[in-house]
Amino acid sequence: MLEVRNLVFAYPDQESPWNFHFSVEPGQCIAIHGASGSGKSTLMNLLAGFLEPQSGDILWRDESLRKRAPWQRPMTSVFQEHNLFEHLNVETNIGLGIHPGLKLTPEDQKAIKQGLHNVGLEGFGKRLPGDLSGGQRQRVALLRAMLRQKPILLLDEPLTGLDSDARDLLRQLLLQAKARGTLIVLASHDKEDRKLLADSVHRL
Amino acid sequence: MNSLAKRQQHALPSHSRLGRPAPFSRPGWQLWPGLTIAGALVLLSAAGLGALIWEASLPDISQLWQSRYLRTVVTFTIWQAFLSVLLSLLVAIPIARILARQPAFPGRAVLLRLMELSLVLPSIVAVSGLVSVYGRQGWFTGFASDWFGASWNLYGINGIVLAHVFFNAPLAARILLQAIEGAPPSQLRAAAQLGLGRWWYWRAVEWPAIKPVLPGVAALVFTLCFTSFAIVMTLGGGPAATTIEVAIYQSLRFEFDSGQAALLAMVQLLVCGFLWWLAVRRGLTASLLPDRRVAAHRTKAGSSPSARLADGTVLGLFVLFLGMPLLAILIRGLPGMGSAFFTQGSFSVNPALLDATVRSLAIALPAGLMSLCAALLILACGTTSKKPAITRLTDVAAYLPLMIPPLVLGTGLFLLFRPSLGSSSEGLMLVTLINAMMALPFVLQMLKGPLGSLDSASRQQADQLGVLGWYRWRWLHWPRMRKPLALAMAYGTGLSLGDFGVIALFGTPGQPTLPVLLYQQLGSYRMDAAAATGLWLVLLLLLLFSVFNRLGSPLNKTGLATKSPRSVPEPEHA
Repeated sequence: MLEVRNLVFAYPDQESPWNFHFSVEPGQCIAIHGASGSGKSTLMNLLAGFLEPQSGDILWRDESLRKRAPWQRPMTSVFQEHNLFEHLNVETNIGLGIHPGLKLTPEDQKAIKQGLHNVGLEGFGKRLPGDLSGGQRQRVALLRAMLRQKPILLLDEPLTGLDSDARDLLRQLLLQAKARGTLIVLASHDKEDRKLLADSVHRL
Repeated sequence: MNSLAKRQQHALPSHSRLGRPAPFSRPGWQLWPGLTIAGALVLLSAAGLGALIWEASLPDISQLWQSRYLRTVVTFTIWQAFLSVLLSLLVAIPIARILARQPAFPGRAVLLRLMELSLVLPSIVAVSGLVSVYGRQGWFTGFASDWFGASWNLYGINGIVLAHVFFNAPLAARILLQAIEGAPPSQLRAAAQLGLGRWWYWRAVEWPAIKPVLPGVAALVFTLCFTSFAIVMTLGGGPAATTIEVAIYQSLRFEFDSGQAALLAMVQLLVCGFLWWLAVRRGLTASLLPDRRVAAHRTKAGSSPSARLADGTVLGLFVLFLGMPLLAILIRGLPGMGSAFFTQGSFSVNPALLDATVRSLAIALPAGLMSLCAALLILACGTTSKKPAITRLTDVAAYLPLMIPPLVLGTGLFLLFRPSLGSSSEGLMLVTLINAMMALPFVLQMLKGPLGSLDSASRQQADQLGVLGWYRWRWLHWPRMRKPLALAMAYGTGLSLGDFGVIALFGTPGQPTLPVLLYQQLGSYRMDAAAATGLWLVLLLLLLFSVFNRLGSPLNKTGLATKSPRSVPEPEHA
């Protein structure tokens, strides 16, 4: 279980700090929503370890994650944009998710090819992120996240701004991940996404 | 989704299948080597200066205002540096503005490259070109005398300031151009859409872009002119036109008065140190490496035929100012090249020239490499550490070589290592070390921007994926840094190749480097040979830049993009 216990954070010029408190079971999805500036992205960054909370704790299987660096945490983030290294091609971007030094086995390479096929991006492996549409980029980011095999997915508005086909495909991918036991924390202002994916909704 | 599901079933516990962290990913690997080098630089500088003071016992400080000679030297150094800064900026600002508003004309790229090269053009060679144009028998002097009856003397403050403007105006213009082109795209777009005239374009776009970097550029040019050696050595006219750096050389080489040298070194350290303290403290140090990513924005200010004509005229005069001495070096050097490279019709390199070339490269290449490695390690240390004391130490270490006269440093270290410095090759090693130190501030400033250009989204991604240490360098920094590194190496090597400061003191006349050989040939009135050596030195420099430029071009390898202009962004501002 992922447990967020009284996680307190405030930016230097912020008067009243945020206080996050919730828990989610594996295979479930919690949706976070709220107005702009309500702290959705801040929560995602705290969970991922990009920001350090002032107090409180994050527990995964009763083990504190607070002292763990981002690469030591059991989670992968997918944001609305800027998920890929722009100067590296699609295959390399995904490969770095499997091994941070790109030391890939033939099995890994096969999995990347198969994954690209499965998300409708067969033959796009050598392309740069800049040559892809927004939906294609998000598919690559999500594929990398899934191939990383981390038990928690942090999704910060991952479907915003995509066309309906791309949204449908990504929703299907997320539902499949959930069915396999992946825990999803989804920040989204889209009612439909929340309705389709979330088991519980948390308003900030 | 079968393969995805399959992989998910036998999930791996860690980010790395190897089960161990990325090589060199511990913070200590990024901290300690750079910290050690920064500490060693500060220590070496302090030890060098300290050894000189210890050996000589510092004379009474009141000599600075009581001795007419010292007073003249100090005031002349400040005055010529002030004039040089003023004139360099008066030339640089309009040139930068013109180049910004004329983003496409034939030869623009060549002109920009020429302006970048001015930093490494060997002073002694450039001076010979300037003499050919502005000297007593020079082309320009003859023209001015015939048409306007004007006469002028290149030797003394005229020539020194002219040479300083020749060297520093292009450098300053290049940095200011980068600042203007780096103005927020929204401002550039708005100005282009509103069709702002020249005055309002200056007020709304150019001045706000230039203003933050101007003090840093002025500090850099002032320091370079304040510490100028070869130009003042060759164009200075006796005690009335001597700078601190030349006075130190004379004290050490001819008067054997190391106390006076140490006193003058302290004055230089104080003045330049104060200036750089101000610049660094306010974050005013500009990047030396041009940013070629910037998209061109056409402005109304530069689009009318009359505006283009006016801009073209000013630019033409600037090209003449910059190009004529270079052309003179070429024209005067060509006849001598024949005898330097051919004997009785067959190819045979003059042994003296060959020896000097090998010796110069043997000093310059290791010096360039040393400065490159030191700069990278110091930058890695500065960015890793969050402690202000360490950041300050790396800043001081990076700029210290600009402030302490290399001659003083060299003499101090020579005194320090004297018992073990016996042979001339050991002296050359000392020259290599000091040349590496002298190149460090420039190399460091060139790499600072590109190394820091990794955006926060990429950093976060890399942190989460565990792309750390060596892996981060390989996959994220190397594709961005490849070209800047090659260029910085070329600059570091080029600066050392043209050095005529430290080598003049420690080199042995029988084993000259190319600049020393050139100086010896000038001294013995072998003008053709000297001109050929000068031209050869410039050609060698161009060859060096071409080779390093080639080495810096990206390779077509799996995973690395080959569409370089967009895929591998060039550096941002420091």
